[in-house]
Amino acid sequence: MNTIILSAIFGVVMMFSGIFIHNRSAYKSISSVALLLLLVLNITESQGSPLFHIDTTNFLHFDKFGLLFNSICIFSTLIYVMLSGRDIEKAGNNTAEAHALIFFVLCGIGIVTSYTNLLMLFIGIEILSIPLYILTGSDKKNLKGNEAALKYFLMGSFSTGIMLMGIAMLYGSGGTFMVENVVKNGIVSYLSALGMVLIFIALCFKVSAAPFHFWTPDVYDGAPAVITSFMATVVKVAGFAAFIRLIEGRLGSMGSQTDRLIAIVIILTLAFGNLTAVFQQSVKRMLAYSSIAQAGFMLFSLFAVNDAAKEGLLLYAAAYSLATIGIFAVLAKMDDMTLEGFNGLSKSQPLIAALLAIFLLSLAGIPLTAGFFAKFYMLSAVVKTGKYLGLVIIGVLFAAVSAYYYFKVIQAMYFKDGNIVLAPVTARFKYLLLFVAVLIVVLGVFPNALLSFLYF
Amino acid sequence: MYFLDAAINEASTSANYFPIGLQLLCAIGFVGLMMGLTHLLGPKRKTSDKLQNFESGIEAVGNARQPMAVKYFLVAILFVLFDVEVIFFYPYAVNFRQLGWSGFGALAMFVGFFLAGFYYIIKKGALQWED
Repeated sequence: MNTIILSAIFGVVMMFSGIFIHNRSAYKSISSVALLLLLVLNITESQGSPLFHIDTTNFLHFDKFGLLFNSICIFSTLIYVMLSGRDIEKAGNNTAEAHALIFFVLCGIGIVTSYTNLLMLFIGIEILSIPLYILTGSDKKNLKGNEAALKYFLMGSFSTGIMLMGIAMLYGSGGTFMVENVVKNGIVSYLSALGMVLIFIALCFKVSAAPFHFWTPDVYDGAPAVITSFMATVVKVAGFAAFIRLIEGRLGSMGSQTDRLIAIVIILTLAFGNLTAVFQQSVKRMLAYSSIAQAGFMLFSLFAVNDAAKEGLLLYAAAYSLATIGIFAVLAKMDDMTLEGFNGLSKSQPLIAALLAIFLLSLAGIPLTAGFFAKFYMLSAVVKTGKYLGLVIIGVLFAAVSAYYYFKVIQAMYFKDGNIVLAPVTARFKYLLLFVAVLIVVLGVFPNALLSFLYF
Repeated sequence: MYFLDAAINEASTSANYFPIGLQLLCAIGFVGLMMGLTHLLGPKRKTSDKLQNFESGIEAVGNARQPMAVKYFLVAILFVLFDVEVIFFYPYAVNFRQLGWSGFGALAMFVGFFLAGFYYIIKKGALQWED
C-alpha cells in the first residue's frame, strides 16, 4: 500500500516542483530522494509495518513476493534516475513532468504486483501504460518519437480492449472477478477458457511476447534512449509480475491446453527475439530485440509456476533490469548508436568498456554474473515440473545464440579501432556504473542475497 | 462475489442464448436490408454540388483542413475533465446522510486533489488565451 499511495503523491509533488523550481537539474535530486524514501518505506512494509491500514480485502493482497518485486522495481528506477537523469533533461522540455510520470508508472506497478481482483489488474495495467504513451513521445520535435508514441498508444489501447473483453468473459463464466479458479465438476467452460486466452493475449502484448511483439522494435527504437531504458526494464518486468500472479491464481480456468499454449509462445518469442537480434546493425534496435528474447526466458516462469519459478523471476527481474539500465545509460551518451559506434571504446574509456562488458555478459548469462543464475533458476524450475523437457534444451540453444550478438558489441569495443564520440561523463556516473556492475557480480555469486528477502 | 452463481448456472444453457442470437440476426439483417434497398431504389445523380461539404445549407467557404489553434482543444479537454467531477457528486449527494463524516472526508480529499490539479493547469498557463 505504501508504494501505491506514496508514489502517486510523489508524482504530484514532482508536477508542482515543475512549477515552483526552475532549476532543471534540481528535479533529478528531488526525484532521487523521493525514490529512496519510497524504497525504504516499501522495505519496511515488507518487514511487516505498513504506514497505512486500509482494508483491501478482495482487491489487493500484499505478500512478500509482490513487495519484493516492488523493491526491485523502485531500486532499478532509482539507479535509472541517478544514472540517466541528465539524459531525461535532454529528452524533452518538461523534465519535471517526465519524473512525475515515472512515479505514476511506479504506482501502477504497485497495483499489478499485488492484485487479487481482475478489476485491479485492469486499473494497474492502465495506470502503468498511459504515462508510457506520453513518455514515448516526450521529445515533441522528434518525428520518429511521435510515430512511436502514436503506434504504442493505438496498439496499447487495442490490447487493453482485448483484456477487458477477457475479463468480461471470465466474469460471465464464473460470476467473480477474483483471481481464483472457478471450475465446476472438473469441467472448464468455454467462456472461461476464452476469457483466459484473451487476457493472456493482452498481457503477452504488454510484455512483448511473440507473436504480439511487433510494436516493440519500432517503439523502443523511436522513443528517446532514456525512455526506452525505463520501458524495456522496469515496466516489462512488472508486466511479468502481473502475469505470474494471474497464471498462478487462475491456471485451472484456462483448460487442459495451457501448457502447450505457453510452450508455443515461449519458443516463438525466443526464436523471433534472438534470430532477429543477430542481424541488427543498430545497438539500440538490437537491445529492443534482445529484450524480446529475454522476455522469452522470463516466460519460462509462467510455464513452471512453482517456487523456483517465482524466485527465478525475481532474480531475472533484478539481473535484467540492472544490466539493461547500465547499457542504456552509456548508449544514451553515444552519438552513433550503431555497432561501429562502439569501435575502440576500450581505448578511450577503459573503465566504461569493462563495465559494459560485464553488463553484456550478464545478459548473455555467463557464470559469475547475475544473468547466469537467473537463467539457471528459470530452467531448473521447468525441469522440476517434469513436463516438456525439450523446452529446456531450446532455451539453452537460444541462450547460446544470444551470446553471439552480445559478444559482437564486446568485440567492437575491444578488438576494433575507431574514434569514439561520447558525451562527457562525470566521475559520479562512472562510480555509479561500477556500483551496478558490482551488484550484478554479487548477485551472480550469492543469488540468495536477494532471494532471502522473500522468506525473512 | 458468488451471489450470481445460481443465476449464471441457470442461464448457461445454450437455449437461453437463442434470443441473443435472434437479436444479432435481426440487427445485421436490418442494416443489410436498408443499405441494399437504398442502393437499389434510390436515384443516382452525381453532380459536383452533391460532392461538396454540407454546411447547414450555406455555401461552403474555404477548406475545412486548415490548421486550427490547439487552445480550443486544450480548453475543451480540460472542460470535460472538470465536468466529469460532477459525476462523483451525484451519488454522494444521494447518500449524503448515510455516508456521514467519513464520506465527507473522502469527498473533501477528492476535491482537494482536484483543486491541486486546477492550480497546476493555471500555473502552467494552460488557460491563457493570448500568447
